Amino acid sequence: MLTKFVVGLCLLAPFSALACSAQESPYFVTYDHHMEEPGNLEIETLSTTNVPRSGQRFYFAPWTEFEYGVTARWTTEFYLEGQSTWDDSTIFTGWRLENRFRPLKREHWINPVLYLEYESINEADRIQKELEGGAPDVTSSNSILRAIKDHELETKLILSRDVHDWNLAGNFIVAKNFSHNEGVEFGYSFGFFRPLGTIASGSNCRFCRENFSAGMEIYGGLGSTLGFGLNGTAQYAAPVVAWLISDNATLRFSPGVGLTHESSPVLFRFGYTYEIQGLGSKLSHLFGGKP
Amino acid sequence: MSRLRIVKFTVVLSLLAAAAAQNPSYRPDPDWRPSDDAAGKANPLAHRPQAVAGGKKLFLRNCAECHNKDGSGILKKHSADLQLAAVQEQSDGALFWKITNGNPDRGMPSFSKLPELERWQLVLFLRTLKLPSDTRDPVPER
Repeated sequence: MLTKFVVGLCLLAPFSALACSAQESPYFVTYDHHMEEPGNLEIETLSTTNVPRSGQRFYFAPWTEFEYGVTARWTTEFYLEGQSTWDDSTIFTGWRLENRFRPLKREHWINPVLYLEYESINEADRIQKELEGGAPDVTSSNSILRAIKDHELETKLILSRDVHDWNLAGNFIVAKNFSHNEGVEFGYSFGFFRPLGTIASGSNCRFCRENFSAGMEIYGGLGSTLGFGLNGTAQYAAPVVAWLISDNATLRFSPGVGLTHESSPVLFRFGYTYEIQGLGSKLSHLFGGKP
Repeated sequence: MSRLRIVKFTVVLSLLAAAAAQNPSYRPDPDWRPSDDAAGKANPLAHRPQAVAGGKKLFLRNCAECHNKDGSGILKKHSADLQLAAVQEQSDGALFWKITNGNPDRGMPSFSKLPELERWQLVLFLRTLKLPSDTRDPVPER
């Protein structure tokens, strides 16, 4: 019952939100250096679905992100995630708390962002928000995997740059699972994208080029201190597309192609983002404080 | 109360509310200055006044939350009153640089995620916010 409620919440949360503006990057895995605007809350529902290899089962893994701009240089996020596996079960797989800090004030040739995340998940987690170490287990049953708890600390160095109208970004991941002796795991992702239109029309059109952006991301695991390299890892190359469907909402889509035997042949990702502007000052006003 | 009195009362109340929401006491950050090269950049859309309409749309989408729909700033948010001479006297290049880089310690995010031409459209629109006869000088810097 609780699981169905959480999975339902993951799917429905954004549609209950209030109002305002969004200008999202199309990336699903890669982070760029743009932070959430201070006081804004972004609610995102995303999902990962696989095309299974023989011996694997079809799954649907939704998650919801609540992203809040604490300051112009600090963004915090909370995640709830679950998954449903064909001919198996629907389960809640855990939560994550993430913080991103931008150390430099101005735009530079390359812009670093420091990322720190705590994960309280189980081995049935299939959202694959990032890949580190080897490949997720997509063959064992949920009842076995959900019993294996993971408490993980994950750090990323995000390097990103806007050059003319392109964004180029690279993320380097180091993760340590405190529940099991898996060594320190590594991963990466690289991405680029560009808006299809670079000048805004005066009308409130929804299908004009300026509302679309497209690009590509490549991501995968790099093994761990117990065995570094690409051997036994999942790797994907994924075109990414975003469509600004209204001033406050964005749709995203990415079909990722598996590049190794440990990868699923195809991963489909969908995302819907809704942004509420000035939530911090609205709440502060509600409780009579200074915004 | 006669209908005329109600109209007068409503107009006065609206003006008072608008004045209270504005931020004429905005003081520019003296450390937030572009290089001479950046400040000297010309707006490539300067001869395309039709691009202003797109700039207005971008302003309402990205800037109005903090700077108010008419650019007059919001006192509670300490955001700049973009109608002030202190802002309007800055070069196009300087405004473009400020939109691009932001001033995170004062709460202004970077908008480098917008394409370059869209940032220039914003500059073009900011020019339309200038009051015809700007008598509201900024409070002198401390």
